[in-house]
Amino acid sequence: MTTIHDRRVWLRAIVVLVLAAAAITVFSVLVADSAQAADVATHAVAADAGTDDVTTTDATTTTGGSGRVLQAVVNGLIFGSLLALASVGLSLIYGTTGLSNFAHGEQVSFGAVLTYFLVADDVSLPLIPGTFGIGIPLIPAALLAVAISAGTGWLQDKFLWSPLRRRRVGIVQQMIVSIGLSLAMLNMLQWWMGGGRMRLTTSIADRLQIGPVQISTQTLWSVLIAILCLLGVSYFLLRTRLGRATRAVSDNPALASASGIKVESIIRLVWILAAGLAGLGGILLGLYEQGTAFDAGARLLLLMFAAVTLGGLGQPFGALVGSLVIGLVAELSTLWLPADLKVATALVILIGVLLVRPQGILGRAERVG
Amino acid sequence: MDFADLFTDAGREIFAPTTAAFALAAIGLNFHFGLTGLLNMGHAGFMLVGMYGYAITVREGGGMVLGLIVAMLLAVVFGLILGWPTLKLRGDYLAIVTIAAAEFVRFLGRSSVMKNITGGSTGIRGSDYKEPFESLSPFPSEQITIGPFTMHGTASTSWFLVLVGWSVVGLFALLFWRLSNSPWGRVLKGIREDEDAVRSLGKNVYAYKMQALVIGGVIGALGGVLWSFSAAVQPDSMGRPTTFWLWTLLLLGGAATVFGPILGSIIFWTALVLVRSLAAMFIPETWMAATEREPFSLVLVGVTLMLLVIFRPQGILGNRRELAIND
Repeated sequence: MTTIHDRRVWLRAIVVLVLAAAAITVFSVLVADSAQAADVATHAVAADAGTDDVTTTDATTTTGGSGRVLQAVVNGLIFGSLLALASVGLSLIYGTTGLSNFAHGEQVSFGAVLTYFLVADDVSLPLIPGTFGIGIPLIPAALLAVAISAGTGWLQDKFLWSPLRRRRVGIVQQMIVSIGLSLAMLNMLQWWMGGGRMRLTTSIADRLQIGPVQISTQTLWSVLIAILCLLGVSYFLLRTRLGRATRAVSDNPALASASGIKVESIIRLVWILAAGLAGLGGILLGLYEQGTAFDAGARLLLLMFAAVTLGGLGQPFGALVGSLVIGLVAELSTLWLPADLKVATALVILIGVLLVRPQGILGRAERVG
Repeated sequence: MDFADLFTDAGREIFAPTTAAFALAAIGLNFHFGLTGLLNMGHAGFMLVGMYGYAITVREGGGMVLGLIVAMLLAVVFGLILGWPTLKLRGDYLAIVTIAAAEFVRFLGRSSVMKNITGGSTGIRGSDYKEPFESLSPFPSEQITIGPFTMHGTASTSWFLVLVGWSVVGLFALLFWRLSNSPWGRVLKGIREDEDAVRSLGKNVYAYKMQALVIGGVIGALGGVLWSFSAAVQPDSMGRPTTFWLWTLLLLGGAATVFGPILGSIIFWTALVLVRSLAAMFIPETWMAATEREPFSLVLVGVTLMLLVIFRPQGILGNRRELAIND
């Protein structure tokens, strides 16, 4: 990749961001009437509560102005880097096998839920009466959970996807299989853990105040781990023989196979890597959002797809850029829109990108239909 | 609970209004996937759009006919917006965009901003929009027992709704049969099998795909309206799982067949009730609590979908040679 290319990429990312911000502003003006009505309603509630009113105005004055924007930007970058961890695997799988894996969200939840299972002391297994506790400390539990998640990637490819490829089952069929798998896994997790929120750690993290931005030490560690892992993946893809082989398979499986690369083992490796990264992403997100649930990953799935499509389907670095943009947009949108429309904004961007540039920010301009 | 109750419960699902509503929505999906090969993963979005269109129009005093027109128009617009960017792209783009758009509709509907219009996450109560439909009922407003089944004559899940629902399903099954054997339907099947071949014959593939998407979407919206008559307009009941159920029952019955969606819907709902009741009867409470039966039965739905697609993609009624799911 040349530097000129790089610069163009960032320019495009910025253009998408600006367009998204403009779209959000227009939308917020359109819904302003009803939003104001909602504001009035909340004020009325706050006035009812009396003392509450004072504290809320206090909070808005301290975080108001540019501080709020900065905080949103920081939150967006944090969320984006954690999202990137989850979506890089999705992109790698798409690149090497052509499969849009709808069960990837459940891999994310699985990592987080498994960590909770290992940490907590009142858990149970389906069909087995009674509760018990394993009670491992958080860090070894998280490591074990990532290892087991990676193992499920191996298991899935060995017993499901690899036989399907050998039977020459079409890509669309495989995609519907992944939807079935996602439905089964989602409900399996709910059956296993119930519908409640699970806190991975009960300790209350210290909050650091850097200028106008507030960040907890726990989040800082999560982001650090995420960035290290992403750098590791980049190093693997760009500098190692196996990584180069992976990119070759991604580019053209038939040619890669002809030049002596074992395509099937590379795909196996990609599944292990993707499932492991997704599990880690789930754990870190669970820490960042101070709790996880059986459907944490399912709610994230569309954001991951948006990120991967935005960056360019099948481009691992596209997933990275796309995730950061999606994270920023989702968090910045909360400055104008109510927080429950955060995800909706990201989905609008997804549709917008497909209109303007279907191959994504990093994708090559080629016929995609 | 004994076996007689069990069979009454499962038997009721064979003709229940919800079964008819899902069959109708699946007929719409059959236009998309069965005829044209479009991967619409957001069919619940079409249903939700239709439900909102009808319920809000009737609540504001627009009347039933206007409500149905609004529901169908909204589905047309939704289909056009979805199809515009994606129908020229590869199939999986449509899948991702439709699933995203359906979720977007749900998020928007349940957001606090729209509370005055859509009722937020609580949705719209049945009493706000059911009255004009129920006033058309010729049946008395009381419980009526036919054979082992007891249902209300007029209100909510009623014999009237059963009659209307299955008539509409029959009508659209007829429409599907006529259209799929028309020259227009044969072009759609051609697009499903080989898009480039059809293009080389001078057909406007994009326009045909768009027509199929819009028609199927309108039928989906009507399915949503039908569903809302036996329940309430609740955005979270039309999430991704609903779309996946529709796919499961369509593939179960057989895509691209006239009776596939109907048979699939009947088997799907009957089996779901049977599994839940049998689990309640035979698996002790200490092994599986009552709250765990729902996820358990849905795990089976997911596994069924996987096995169907792998081993019998043509479903029960389908023809393997006609429908080879491919790119």
